[in-house]
Amino acid sequence: MNLLGHQSAQRQSPIHRLPAGLKLGVALTLILGTVLMPKESLAWLAGVAVFLAIVALLSRISPWFLLQRLLMLSPFVASVALANTFQPAARTSWREVAARGVLCLATVILVSNTTPFSEMLRVLRQMRVPALLITTLALMFRYLFVLADETQRMRRARASRTFARGRGFAWRTLATVAGQLFIRASERAERIYDAMCARGWK
Amino acid sequence: MHIPDGFIDAKTAVAAAVLSVAGVGLALRQVRKELPPRRAPLLGLSAAFLFAAQMLNFPVVGGTSGHLLGGVLVAALLGPAAAVVVLTTVLIVQCFLFADGGVLALGANVFNMALLGTLGGWAIFRALSSCLPTLRGQVTAVAFAGWCSTVLASLACAGQLAWSGTVAWSVAFPAMAGIHMLIGVGEGVISALVFLAIARTRPDLASGAGPDLGSLRTRGFIGFGLIVSLGLAIFVAPFASPWPDGLEAVAAKLDFEHKAGTPFLPAPASGYSMPGLKSPAVATAVAGAVGALVVFGLALLLSRALVPKMDPSGREPAPTNGISAN
Amino acid sequence: MKHAIEITNLRYRYVDGTQALRGVSLRVEPGECVGLLGPNGSGKSTLLLHLNGILPEKLVADGTLRIQGEAIRAENLENVRRQVGVLFQDPDDQLFCATVAEDVAFGPQQLGLSDAEIKTRVETCLARVGLEHHAQRATHHLSHGEKRRACLAGVLACEPTILVLDEPTSGLDPRGRREFKALLRTIPATKLIATHDLELVVELCPRVIVLDQGQIVADGPTLELLSNEELMLAHGLERPHMLEHVHPHAGREMQRRRDASGPAE
Repeated sequence: MNLLGHQSAQRQSPIHRLPAGLKLGVALTLILGTVLMPKESLAWLAGVAVFLAIVALLSRISPWFLLQRLLMLSPFVASVALANTFQPAARTSWREVAARGVLCLATVILVSNTTPFSEMLRVLRQMRVPALLITTLALMFRYLFVLADETQRMRRARASRTFARGRGFAWRTLATVAGQLFIRASERAERIYDAMCARGWK
Repeated sequence: MHIPDGFIDAKTAVAAAVLSVAGVGLALRQVRKELPPRRAPLLGLSAAFLFAAQMLNFPVVGGTSGHLLGGVLVAALLGPAAAVVVLTTVLIVQCFLFADGGVLALGANVFNMALLGTLGGWAIFRALSSCLPTLRGQVTAVAFAGWCSTVLASLACAGQLAWSGTVAWSVAFPAMAGIHMLIGVGEGVISALVFLAIARTRPDLASGAGPDLGSLRTRGFIGFGLIVSLGLAIFVAPFASPWPDGLEAVAAKLDFEHKAGTPFLPAPASGYSMPGLKSPAVATAVAGAVGALVVFGLALLLSRALVPKMDPSGREPAPTNGISAN
Repeated sequence: MKHAIEITNLRYRYVDGTQALRGVSLRVEPGECVGLLGPNGSGKSTLLLHLNGILPEKLVADGTLRIQGEAIRAENLENVRRQVGVLFQDPDDQLFCATVAEDVAFGPQQLGLSDAEIKTRVETCLARVGLEHHAQRATHHLSHGEKRRACLAGVLACEPTILVLDEPTSGLDPRGRREFKALLRTIPATKLIATHDLELVVELCPRVIVLDQGQIVADGPTLELLSNEELMLAHGLERPHMLEHVHPHAGREMQRRRDASGPAE
């Protein structure tokens, strides 16, 4: 799953080594500030941009990689910013809206690529988030890749035996794959439960 | 429909966050009460499933493709409370790992998609499927409810953008509602197809919503209804009210009307009104209702196409609730 | 003397009506290493799931199954699960935590050990299976062989006296298999290994039980049973070639045993 740039989370850099709570706290502060700053706070926006650039450099993540992720997620930002331009007298100009959106995006991308997910969950646990939600998040993360692999294998197997063209057929095939995926996930969930019980889970 | 950071202001984000925390907290309590321990890992696995399923590209036109949001699908399989937890999990992971949806906007995204869309859609699914208990009826219900969930979520999204002053209602509403009425068709069709695929292989899994019938009468449902209604009241109602004058007066007093001069109600030129109807708000409502009816008709046709008649009486045996797992 | 495992006339029927076990009886003594063979669908996995109380879904302490002399009841279930370590067929089902160290720590955590003890156990067990440098790796990044070893570490962390393994070498490359076999040899616990890997059975298990259609059709010394071509073929198995010639990597032990049992057939 190359969409999950967590290979980066395995690297070592001063940023990677910082505690997760600190990174999340700083990120939250930056985002809050960027959202709450009054109109035309160019100084703040520029400051944040510089700060993020420094962090990105220190984190040793490929700038090309970061740019890619940023571009992938910008469409919604761009479209809302665009809609903003069609208003007679909006509160904030579209440029600013876009700028703020992109800065917040970049912040989250940096944090997520320098912090292992299990560390983020630990922070959530410390914040007294209910255990059921944390377990669900943990299991989701763990089995994302397993299910993604299964999806890919099923699609390849289907593609190897698909000769008909046409969207209707493609939709039904994909739906069958999705259906199978759920059934397998359901059965796997039961086996996981057994494995958890086998090691004493209550 | 994931709102990024910087597009909703503080008051909107906080209001949505409060509602979301309440709603998700309620759902977690409900799940702990109702879900047998054996199925606990299913929540996480379903979230992983949804995520993987969302990666499947359903080709539409040219390079575009449709994707599954999955609220109604999961609700039909696991029940409404579990679906809220599953969707919330997906949204949290998307937010923090993929920057899909802002951190401060998480409350709004959770409210729109995991609460309003999922619960509203599920309620419609439940109502329809109890009137149409056959497999065909269930498929119709999933399809229509899936469409509804997308449209509902987009309405709240538009309202939040408008309330924040980022985009005026007169622009946000037609844009969001319009686009999502189309996207919703994809959601409905995909949800129905996947639901059918599961129901055919493992009917016991597809009747997952059955045991939750009891919960309709519990405090859980009332709680959910309150939270969803409150959200609609805050984010949508002020903009869509059919009593413009009275509300404008109130709004002026409370000073939350947008003074930028943007129209408070959807303009007649937005393309939603029917000719001949005087009040633009009522016209919008009627147009929306007609659209919904059309989609419902499409859903019926879809189920007819997908589920052939099985016996002379024209009804397939309904998936029996008794065989639900555990 | 208490038997490690004592099963008397065990029956089990699945929800969909399939009779998976039709009166299975066997005894395993402490320290034994027993192979469990049988064609697919013979009920091996079902039998193994009974050994730590996962099946039957409603425990009935009627003496059909005794671990270390005790029937499995709700009250002693926790204790049984500590004593009987089960290695599941699919390592992905068993490695449900995000990192290796977390997963190995799961068992000790459930046992209520202190943080320091947990840390020590995790380190020891990872070292035993050769994964000491992989503690912080994400579970989904591991190779199949590494996953199997991580599962073993996780089970060993609970310090079981009985080890139950379901197809432990399936999907492993030859080196992985050799390493895993060597690993199993170092573990002193009583072992019951369900497998299709006949070489594994010949090398590690002096005794073998053959299961077919939910019933035990043979229970005896490995070389004797495995050399019986008729018996093997009748139950979906075969006589392994290694009984004819010793594998160069099998070592002296194999040679000794082969010489002791006399010419095959």
